[in-house]
Amino acid sequence: MKADEVLIAHHDVLRGLLRELAETRDDETGRREELRDRFLREIEVHAQIEDELFYPAVPDVSPLLALAHAEHRQIDDQVATVMRMDVADPEFTTEVRMLENTVRHHTMEEEQRMFPQSHALGEERLEELGEQLRARKRELEESGGMRLIVRLKRATLRHV
Amino acid sequence: MSVRGLLERLTSRVEALQVLDTPGYQLEHGVSLTFLLAGRWARPLQDLLHGVWLGHPLHPVLVTVPVGAWSAAALLDGLDASGRGGPGAAQAARAVVGLGIAGGVGSVATGLTDWQHAHDEARRVGMVHGALNSAALALYAWSFADRGRGRAGRARVTAAAGYGLVLASSYLGGVLSYRHRLGVDHSAAGREPRVFTPVARLADLPDREPVEVAADGVPVVLVRTDEEVRALAGRCPHLGGPMAEGWLHRDELVCPWHGSRFDVGTGEPAQGPATAPLPCYDTRVRDGAVEVRRRARWRTPTAVTTVEEASR
Repeated sequence: MKADEVLIAHHDVLRGLLRELAETRDDETGRREELRDRFLREIEVHAQIEDELFYPAVPDVSPLLALAHAEHRQIDDQVATVMRMDVADPEFTTEVRMLENTVRHHTMEEEQRMFPQSHALGEERLEELGEQLRARKRELEESGGMRLIVRLKRATLRHV
Repeated sequence: MSVRGLLERLTSRVEALQVLDTPGYQLEHGVSLTFLLAGRWARPLQDLLHGVWLGHPLHPVLVTVPVGAWSAAALLDGLDASGRGGPGAAQAARAVVGLGIAGGVGSVATGLTDWQHAHDEARRVGMVHGALNSAALALYAWSFADRGRGRAGRARVTAAAGYGLVLASSYLGGVLSYRHRLGVDHSAAGREPRVFTPVARLADLPDREPVEVAADGVPVVLVRTDEEVRALAGRCPHLGGPMAEGWLHRDELVCPWHGSRFDVGTGEPAQGPATAPLPCYDTRVRDGAVEVRRRARWRTPTAVTTVEEASR
Protein backbone atom coordinates (compact mmCIF):
# COMPACT_ATOMS: atom_id res chain seq x y z
CA MET A 1 0.00 0.00 0.00
CA LYS A 2 1.20 3.49 -0.83
CA ALA A 3 1.55 6.11 1.89
CA ASP A 4 -1.53 8.08 0.91
CA GLU A 5 -3.63 4.91 0.72
CA VAL A 6 -2.59 3.92 4.25
CA LEU A 7 -3.50 7.38 5.55
CA ILE A 8 -6.82 7.57 3.66
CA ALA A 9 -7.85 4.18 5.06
CA HIS A 10 -7.16 5.49 8.55
CA HIS A 11 -8.99 8.76 7.80
CA ASP A 12 -12.05 6.63 7.00
CA VAL A 13 -11.78 4.99 10.43
CA LEU A 14 -11.53 8.40 12.14
CA ARG A 15 -14.44 9.89 10.24
CA GLY A 16 -16.54 6.77 10.76
CA LEU A 17 -16.01 6.86 14.52
CA LEU A 18 -17.07 10.49 14.72
CA ARG A 19 -20.13 9.88 12.59
CA GLU A 20 -21.16 7.04 14.89
CA LEU A 21 -20.46 9.16 17.96
CA ALA A 22 -22.51 12.07 16.61
CA GLU A 23 -25.46 9.75 15.99
CA THR A 24 -25.63 8.38 19.53
CA ARG A 25 -28.47 9.45 21.82
CA ASP A 26 -27.98 11.39 25.06
CA ASP A 27 -28.87 8.31 27.12
CA GLU A 28 -26.31 6.03 25.42
CA THR A 29 -23.59 7.16 27.79
CA GLY A 30 -21.65 3.90 27.83
CA ARG A 31 -21.45 3.77 24.05
CA ARG A 32 -20.41 7.43 23.92
CA GLU A 33 -17.60 6.85 26.41
CA GLU A 34 -16.40 3.84 24.44
CA LEU A 35 -16.45 5.56 21.03
CA ARG A 36 -14.84 8.68 22.43
CA ASP A 37 -11.99 6.71 24.00
CA ARG A 38 -11.48 4.72 20.84
CA PHE A 39 -11.36 7.96 18.80
CA LEU A 40 -8.77 9.44 21.17
CA ARG A 41 -6.53 6.39 20.72
CA GLU A 42 -6.88 6.41 16.93
CA ILE A 43 -6.28 10.15 16.53
CA GLU A 44 -3.19 10.03 18.76
CA VAL A 45 -1.71 7.23 16.65
CA HIS A 46 -2.68 9.00 13.43
CA ALA A 47 -1.16 12.35 14.41
CA GLN A 48 1.98 10.58 15.57
CA ILE A 49 2.60 8.62 12.35
CA GLU A 50 1.92 11.69 10.21
CA ASP A 51 4.20 13.90 12.31
CA GLU A 52 6.93 11.29 12.54
CA LEU A 53 6.99 9.84 9.04
CA PHE A 54 4.73 11.45 6.46
CA TYR A 55 5.17 15.19 7.05
CA PRO A 56 8.99 15.06 7.22
CA ALA A 57 8.96 13.32 3.82
CA VAL A 58 6.97 15.95 1.93
CA PRO A 59 8.27 19.51 2.60
CA ASP A 60 9.96 19.65 -0.81
CA VAL A 61 6.83 18.69 -2.72
CA SER A 62 4.03 20.26 -0.67
CA PRO A 63 3.65 23.84 0.57
CA LEU A 64 0.79 22.78 2.85
CA LEU A 65 2.77 21.51 5.85
CA ALA A 66 2.23 24.55 8.05
CA LEU A 67 -1.51 24.34 7.43
CA ALA A 68 -1.55 20.63 8.22
CA HIS A 69 0.16 21.34 11.54
CA ALA A 70 -2.26 24.19 12.27
CA GLU A 71 -5.20 21.88 11.61
CA HIS A 72 -3.77 19.15 13.83
CA ARG A 73 -3.60 21.76 16.54
CA GLN A 74 -7.21 22.72 16.00
CA ILE A 75 -8.24 19.06 16.16
CA ASP A 76 -6.23 18.65 19.37
CA ASP A 77 -7.97 21.59 21.01
CA GLN A 78 -11.41 20.35 20.03
CA VAL A 79 -10.60 16.81 21.18
CA ALA A 80 -9.77 18.37 24.55
CA THR A 81 -13.16 20.11 24.63
CA VAL A 82 -14.99 16.87 23.84
CA MET A 83 -12.92 14.88 26.37
CA ARG A 84 -13.70 17.35 29.12
CA MET A 85 -17.44 17.14 28.54
CA ASP A 86 -19.91 14.99 30.39
CA VAL A 87 -21.19 12.50 27.79
CA ALA A 88 -24.76 13.12 28.92
CA ASP A 89 -24.43 16.86 28.32
CA PRO A 90 -27.09 18.09 25.86
CA GLU A 91 -24.36 20.05 24.06
CA PHE A 92 -22.19 16.95 23.62
CA THR A 93 -23.34 16.27 20.06
CA THR A 94 -22.81 19.92 19.04
CA GLU A 95 -19.18 19.72 20.14
CA VAL A 96 -18.73 16.32 18.46
CA ARG A 97 -20.09 17.82 15.22
CA MET A 98 -17.56 20.62 15.58
CA LEU A 99 -14.82 18.01 15.93
CA GLU A 100 -16.23 16.11 12.97
CA ASN A 101 -16.09 19.25 10.82
CA THR A 102 -12.53 19.99 11.92
CA VAL A 103 -11.42 16.44 11.11
CA ARG A 104 -13.33 16.39 7.84
CA HIS A 105 -11.73 19.63 6.67
CA HIS A 106 -8.22 18.50 7.56
CA THR A 107 -8.53 15.04 6.03
CA MET A 108 -10.16 16.36 2.85
CA GLU A 109 -7.44 18.96 2.47
CA GLU A 110 -4.83 16.22 2.70
CA GLU A 111 -6.67 13.89 0.35
CA GLN A 112 -7.50 16.50 -2.26
CA ARG A 113 -4.39 18.70 -2.12
CA MET A 114 -1.44 17.38 -0.15
CA PHE A 115 -1.58 13.70 -1.18
CA PRO A 116 -1.73 14.47 -4.92
CA GLN A 117 1.31 16.74 -4.38
CA SER A 118 3.07 13.90 -2.57
CA HIS A 119 2.87 11.79 -5.74
CA ALA A 120 5.88 13.77 -6.93
CA LEU A 121 7.92 11.61 -4.55
CA GLY A 122 7.48 8.71 -6.96
CA GLU A 123 5.75 5.34 -6.74
CA GLU A 124 8.66 3.55 -5.11
CA ARG A 125 9.18 6.06 -2.33
CA LEU A 126 5.43 6.17 -1.60
CA GLU A 127 5.28 2.36 -1.32
CA GLU A 128 8.26 2.37 1.04
CA LEU A 129 6.75 5.18 3.10
CA GLY A 130 3.42 3.34 3.16
CA GLU A 131 5.12 0.28 4.63
CA GLN A 132 6.83 2.39 7.28
CA LEU A 133 3.53 4.06 8.18
CA ARG A 134 1.79 0.71 8.49
CA ALA A 135 4.52 -0.79 10.62
CA ARG A 136 4.73 2.23 12.90
CA LYS A 137 0.95 2.36 13.24
CA ARG A 138 0.85 -1.29 14.29
CA GLU A 139 3.72 -0.73 16.68
CA LEU A 140 2.02 2.26 18.31
CA GLU A 141 -1.30 0.45 18.58
CA GLU A 142 0.40 -2.32 20.52
CA SER A 143 2.80 -0.19 22.52
CA GLY A 144 2.31 0.19 26.24
CA GLY A 145 3.85 3.66 26.11
CA MET A 146 1.20 4.94 23.72
CA ARG A 147 -1.57 3.41 25.83
CA LEU A 148 -0.11 5.13 28.87
CA ILE A 149 0.05 8.50 27.09
CA VAL A 150 -3.57 8.18 25.99
CA ARG A 151 -4.66 7.18 29.50
CA LEU A 152 -2.74 10.08 31.04
CA LYS A 153 -4.17 12.49 28.53
CA ARG A 154 -7.68 11.26 29.16
CA ALA A 155 -7.28 11.50 32.93
CA THR A 156 -5.70 14.95 32.76
CA LEU A 157 -8.28 16.38 30.39
CA ARG A 158 -11.13 15.18 32.57
CA HIS A 159 -9.73 16.77 35.67
CA VAL A 160 -8.72 20.21 34.52
CA MET B 1 26.43 47.71 0.94
CA SER B 2 23.51 49.85 2.06
CA VAL B 3 21.95 49.46 5.51
CA ARG B 4 18.75 48.26 3.91
CA GLY B 5 20.58 45.71 1.79
CA LEU B 6 22.47 44.35 4.77
CA LEU B 7 19.35 44.02 6.91
CA GLU B 8 17.52 42.46 4.01
CA ARG B 9 20.22 39.82 3.66
CA LEU B 10 20.26 39.03 7.36
CA THR B 11 16.46 38.75 7.39
CA SER B 12 16.47 36.34 4.43
CA ARG B 13 19.02 34.21 6.25
CA VAL B 14 16.71 33.94 9.25
CA GLU B 15 13.69 33.21 7.05
CA ALA B 16 15.55 30.33 5.42
CA LEU B 17 16.47 28.59 8.70
CA GLN B 18 14.62 25.34 8.04
CA VAL B 19 16.50 23.70 10.90
CA LEU B 20 14.20 25.65 13.23
CA ASP B 21 11.08 23.87 11.97
CA THR B 22 11.32 20.72 14.08
CA PRO B 23 12.19 22.46 17.37
CA GLY B 24 9.50 24.99 16.44
CA TYR B 25 6.81 22.34 16.34
CA GLN B 26 8.12 20.86 19.58
CA LEU B 27 7.94 24.26 21.22
CA GLU B 28 4.41 24.70 19.90
CA HIS B 29 3.42 21.32 21.34
CA GLY B 30 4.81 22.52 24.67
CA VAL B 31 2.85 25.76 24.52
CA SER B 32 -0.27 23.87 23.48
CA LEU B 33 0.12 21.42 26.38
CA THR B 34 0.58 24.27 28.85
CA PHE B 35 -2.66 25.84 27.68
CA LEU B 36 -4.48 22.49 27.74
CA LEU B 37 -3.55 22.18 31.41
CA ALA B 38 -5.46 25.41 32.02
CA GLY B 39 -8.59 23.37 31.24
CA ARG B 40 -11.68 25.46 30.63
CA TRP B 41 -9.60 28.58 31.03
CA ALA B 42 -7.35 27.71 28.10
CA ARG B 43 -9.51 29.47 25.52
CA PRO B 44 -10.33 32.64 27.49
CA LEU B 45 -6.69 32.92 28.53
CA GLN B 46 -5.45 32.66 24.94
CA ASP B 47 -8.08 35.12 23.74
CA LEU B 48 -6.97 37.55 26.45
CA LEU B 49 -3.33 37.22 25.35
CA HIS B 50 -4.14 37.46 21.61
CA GLY B 51 -6.10 40.66 22.28
CA VAL B 52 -9.52 39.48 21.05
CA TRP B 53 -11.07 41.79 23.70
CA LEU B 54 -8.99 44.71 22.41
CA GLY B 55 -9.69 44.44 18.70
CA HIS B 56 -6.04 44.19 17.70
CA PRO B 57 -3.05 42.21 18.98
CA LEU B 58 -2.04 42.84 22.59
CA HIS B 59 1.63 41.96 22.02
CA PRO B 60 2.70 45.20 20.28
CA VAL B 61 1.00 47.17 23.06
CA LEU B 62 2.91 45.37 25.81
CA VAL B 63 6.33 45.46 24.12
CA THR B 64 6.40 49.23 24.38
CA VAL B 65 6.87 48.79 28.15
CA PRO B 66 10.25 46.96 28.11
CA VAL B 67 11.53 48.91 25.10
CA GLY B 68 10.64 52.23 26.71
CA ALA B 69 11.77 51.29 30.21
CA TRP B 70 15.08 49.85 29.04
CA SER B 71 15.72 52.91 26.86
CA ALA B 72 15.27 55.04 29.96
CA ALA B 73 17.60 52.69 31.86
CA ALA B 74 20.26 53.08 29.15
CA LEU B 75 20.06 56.86 29.47
CA LEU B 76 20.20 56.79 33.28
CA ASP B 77 23.11 54.29 33.21
CA GLY B 78 24.98 56.56 30.81
CA LEU B 79 24.47 59.62 32.99
CA ASP B 80 25.40 57.68 36.10
CA ALA B 81 28.57 56.22 34.55
CA SER B 82 29.74 59.66 33.41
CA GLY B 83 29.10 61.09 36.88
CA ARG B 84 26.29 63.39 35.77
CA GLY B 85 23.43 61.33 37.09
CA GLY B 86 23.18 62.98 40.46
CA PRO B 87 21.78 61.32 43.55
CA GLY B 88 19.06 58.76 42.89
CA ALA B 89 20.03 58.01 39.27
CA ALA B 90 21.20 54.48 40.11
CA GLN B 91 18.02 53.82 42.07
CA ALA B 92 15.86 55.14 39.24
CA ALA B 93 17.78 52.99 36.75
CA ARG B 94 17.09 49.89 38.85
CA ALA B 95 13.39 50.75 39.03
CA VAL B 96 13.04 51.11 35.25
CA VAL B 97 15.03 47.93 34.60
CA GLY B 98 12.54 46.17 36.89
CA LEU B 99 9.58 47.72 35.07
CA GLY B 100 11.04 46.51 31.78
CA ILE B 101 11.37 42.98 33.14
CA ALA B 102 7.72 42.94 34.19
CA GLY B 103 6.66 44.19 30.74
CA GLY B 104 9.05 41.67 29.18
CA VAL B 105 7.35 38.74 30.89
CA GLY B 106 3.98 39.94 29.57
CA SER B 107 5.50 40.31 26.10
CA VAL B 108 6.80 36.72 26.18
CA ALA B 109 3.34 35.41 27.09
CA THR B 110 1.52 37.38 24.39
CA GLY B 111 4.25 36.80 21.82
CA LEU B 112 4.30 33.02 22.26
CA THR B 113 0.51 32.90 22.08
CA ASP B 114 0.48 34.75 18.74
CA TRP B 115 3.53 32.89 17.41
CA GLN B 116 1.89 29.46 17.81
CA HIS B 117 -0.21 30.09 14.72
CA ALA B 118 2.46 31.61 12.46
CA HIS B 119 3.50 29.69 9.36
CA ASP B 120 6.80 28.87 7.66
CA GLU B 121 9.12 31.92 7.30
CA ALA B 122 7.20 34.01 9.83
CA ARG B 123 7.45 31.16 12.32
CA ARG B 124 11.24 31.02 11.94
CA VAL B 125 11.64 34.79 12.24
CA GLY B 126 9.40 34.64 15.30
CA MET B 127 11.62 32.02 16.90
CA VAL B 128 14.78 34.09 16.45
CA HIS B 129 12.92 37.20 17.62
CA GLY B 130 11.78 35.34 20.74
CA ALA B 131 15.20 33.80 21.42
CA LEU B 132 16.96 37.19 21.23
CA ASN B 133 14.37 38.76 23.51
CA SER B 134 14.56 35.91 25.99
CA ALA B 135 18.34 36.33 26.13
CA ALA B 136 17.88 40.07 26.67
CA LEU B 137 15.33 39.41 29.40
CA ALA B 138 17.79 37.07 31.15
CA LEU B 139 20.57 39.69 30.91
CA TYR B 140 18.30 42.35 32.40
CA ALA B 141 17.25 39.99 35.20
CA TRP B 142 20.93 39.47 35.98
CA SER B 143 21.54 43.21 35.76
CA PHE B 144 18.62 43.85 38.11
CA ALA B 145 20.01 41.40 40.68
CA ASP B 146 23.49 42.98 40.40
CA ARG B 147 22.04 46.43 41.02
CA GLY B 148 20.61 45.14 44.30
CA ARG B 149 24.02 43.72 45.25
CA GLY B 150 25.91 46.91 44.52
CA ARG B 151 27.68 45.52 41.41
CA ALA B 152 26.89 48.71 39.46
CA GLY B 153 29.62 48.36 36.83
CA ARG B 154 28.74 44.83 35.77
CA ALA B 155 25.03 45.67 35.92
CA ARG B 156 25.54 48.47 33.37
CA VAL B 157 27.48 46.18 31.04
CA THR B 158 24.84 43.42 31.07
CA ALA B 159 22.08 46.00 30.58
CA ALA B 160 23.93 47.50 27.59
CA ALA B 161 24.35 44.04 26.05
CA GLY B 162 20.65 43.35 26.65
CA TYR B 163 19.74 46.64 25.00
CA GLY B 164 21.69 45.68 21.87
CA LEU B 165 19.80 42.39 21.65
CA VAL B 166 16.46 44.14 22.13
CA LEU B 167 17.20 46.55 19.27
CA ALA B 168 18.17 43.70 16.92
CA SER B 169 15.14 41.71 17.93
CA SER B 170 12.81 44.71 17.54
CA TYR B 171 13.89 44.90 13.93
CA LEU B 172 12.73 41.30 13.47
CA GLY B 173 9.49 42.18 15.25
CA GLY B 174 9.00 44.85 12.59
CA VAL B 175 9.68 42.28 9.88
CA LEU B 176 6.93 40.09 11.37
CA SER B 177 4.39 42.91 11.35
CA TYR B 178 5.22 44.85 8.21
CA ARG B 179 6.53 42.11 5.93
CA HIS B 180 4.84 38.94 7.11
CA ARG B 181 1.77 40.90 8.19
CA LEU B 182 1.30 38.97 11.43
CA GLY B 183 -1.46 40.57 13.47
CA VAL B 184 -2.62 42.68 10.53
CA ASP B 185 -6.23 42.38 9.32
CA HIS B 186 -6.17 40.02 6.32
CA SER B 187 -9.87 40.24 5.47
CA ALA B 188 -11.16 42.41 2.65
CA ALA B 189 -10.37 45.98 3.65
CA GLY B 190 -11.99 47.69 0.68
CA ARG B 191 -15.48 49.17 0.49
CA GLU B 192 -16.67 47.28 -2.55
CA PRO B 193 -19.30 46.62 -3.64
CA ARG B 194 -20.90 49.94 -2.75
CA VAL B 195 -24.24 49.15 -4.33
CA PHE B 196 -26.28 45.95 -4.12
CA THR B 197 -24.70 43.43 -6.48
CA PRO B 198 -26.28 40.07 -7.38
CA VAL B 199 -24.00 37.16 -6.41
CA ALA B 200 -26.11 33.98 -6.31
CA ARG B 201 -29.55 32.44 -6.69
CA LEU B 202 -31.32 31.92 -3.37
CA ALA B 203 -32.52 28.50 -4.52
CA ASP B 204 -28.91 27.36 -5.03
CA LEU B 205 -27.86 28.03 -1.44
CA PRO B 206 -27.71 25.01 0.89
CA ASP B 207 -28.96 25.40 4.46
CA ARG B 208 -26.31 26.29 7.07
CA GLU B 209 -23.42 25.61 4.71
CA PRO B 210 -21.09 28.48 3.81
CA VAL B 211 -20.69 29.13 0.09
CA GLU B 212 -18.10 31.37 -1.52
CA VAL B 213 -19.13 33.88 -4.18
CA ALA B 214 -17.39 36.87 -5.73
CA ALA B 215 -18.87 40.35 -5.45
CA ASP B 216 -16.99 42.74 -7.75
CA GLY B 217 -14.04 40.38 -7.46
CA VAL B 218 -14.15 40.41 -3.65
CA PRO B 219 -14.51 36.95 -2.05
CA VAL B 220 -17.69 36.83 0.06
CA VAL B 221 -19.21 33.97 2.03
CA LEU B 222 -22.95 33.45 2.01
CA VAL B 223 -24.59 31.60 4.88
CA ARG B 224 -28.24 30.70 4.56
CA THR B 225 -30.19 29.83 7.68
CA ASP B 226 -33.91 29.22 7.25
CA GLU B 227 -35.04 32.13 5.12
CA GLU B 228 -32.23 34.46 6.11
CA VAL B 229 -29.06 34.98 4.12
CA ARG B 230 -26.00 36.51 5.71
CA ALA B 231 -22.91 37.64 3.89
CA LEU B 232 -19.44 37.93 5.41
CA ALA B 233 -15.94 38.43 4.09
CA GLY B 234 -14.44 35.38 2.40
CA ARG B 235 -11.01 35.64 4.05
CA CYS B 236 -10.24 35.32 7.75
CA PRO B 237 -8.84 38.53 9.30
CA HIS B 238 -6.16 36.46 11.09
CA LEU B 239 -4.14 35.03 8.19
CA GLY B 240 -6.54 35.02 5.27
CA GLY B 241 -7.96 31.50 5.69
CA PRO B 242 -10.77 30.60 3.25
CA MET B 243 -13.92 31.07 5.36
CA ALA B 244 -16.13 29.22 2.88
CA GLU B 245 -14.19 26.05 3.68
CA GLY B 246 -15.16 26.58 7.30
CA TRP B 247 -18.43 25.61 8.94
CA LEU B 248 -21.13 26.81 11.31
CA HIS B 249 -20.84 25.99 14.99
CA ARG B 250 -23.90 27.23 16.83
CA ASP B 251 -24.25 30.71 15.27
CA GLU B 252 -20.57 31.19 14.61
CA LEU B 253 -18.60 30.74 11.42
CA VAL B 254 -15.36 28.84 12.11
CA CYS B 255 -12.15 29.44 10.16
CA PRO B 256 -10.78 26.08 8.98
CA TRP B 257 -7.15 27.08 9.50
CA HIS B 258 -6.74 28.16 13.13
CA GLY B 259 -10.26 27.92 14.49
CA SER B 260 -11.12 31.61 14.85
CA ARG B 261 -14.88 31.98 15.30
CA PHE B 262 -17.08 34.86 14.19
CA ASP B 263 -20.67 35.76 15.00
CA VAL B 264 -22.55 35.32 11.69
CA GLY B 265 -24.80 38.26 12.47
CA THR B 266 -22.19 40.85 13.42
CA GLY B 267 -18.84 39.41 12.28
CA GLU B 268 -17.43 40.01 15.78
CA PRO B 269 -14.70 37.53 16.74
CA ALA B 270 -16.03 35.12 19.36
CA GLN B 271 -12.73 33.26 19.62
CA GLY B 272 -9.16 34.00 18.56
CA PRO B 273 -6.53 33.94 17.20
CA ALA B 274 -8.33 36.54 15.03
CA THR B 275 -8.66 39.86 16.85
CA ALA B 276 -10.35 41.86 14.08
CA PRO B 277 -13.98 41.34 13.06
CA LEU B 278 -14.95 39.58 9.86
CA PRO B 279 -16.43 42.33 7.64
CA CYS B 280 -20.14 42.04 6.99
CA TYR B 281 -22.25 42.72 3.93
CA ASP B 282 -25.86 43.83 3.78
CA THR B 283 -28.00 41.37 1.88
CA ARG B 284 -31.35 41.42 0.13
CA VAL B 285 -33.19 39.07 -2.19
CA ARG B 286 -34.63 40.39 -5.48
CA ASP B 287 -36.45 38.05 -7.86
CA GLY B 288 -34.73 35.05 -6.34
CA ALA B 289 -31.29 36.62 -6.63
CA VAL B 290 -29.19 37.29 -3.53
CA GLU B 291 -27.59 40.73 -3.63
CA VAL B 292 -24.87 42.01 -1.32
CA ARG B 293 -23.36 45.36 -0.47
CA ARG B 294 -20.47 46.16 1.85
CA ARG B 295 -21.67 47.30 5.27
CA ALA B 296 -19.64 50.19 6.62
CA ARG B 297 -18.02 49.53 9.98
CA TRP B 298 -19.66 52.48 11.66
CA ARG B 299 -23.14 51.24 10.86
CA THR B 300 -25.00 49.14 13.36
CA PRO B 301 -25.32 45.60 12.05
CA THR B 302 -29.11 45.62 11.99
CA ALA B 303 -29.54 48.97 10.24
CA VAL B 304 -31.21 48.91 6.87
CA THR B 305 -29.38 51.39 4.72
CA THR B 306 -30.18 53.12 1.48
CA VAL B 307 -28.11 52.94 -1.67
CA GLU B 308 -27.27 56.66 -1.41
CA GLU B 309 -25.85 56.20 2.08
CA ALA B 310 -23.75 53.26 1.03
CA SER B 311 -22.07 55.08 -1.82
CA ARG B 312 -20.98 58.02 0.31
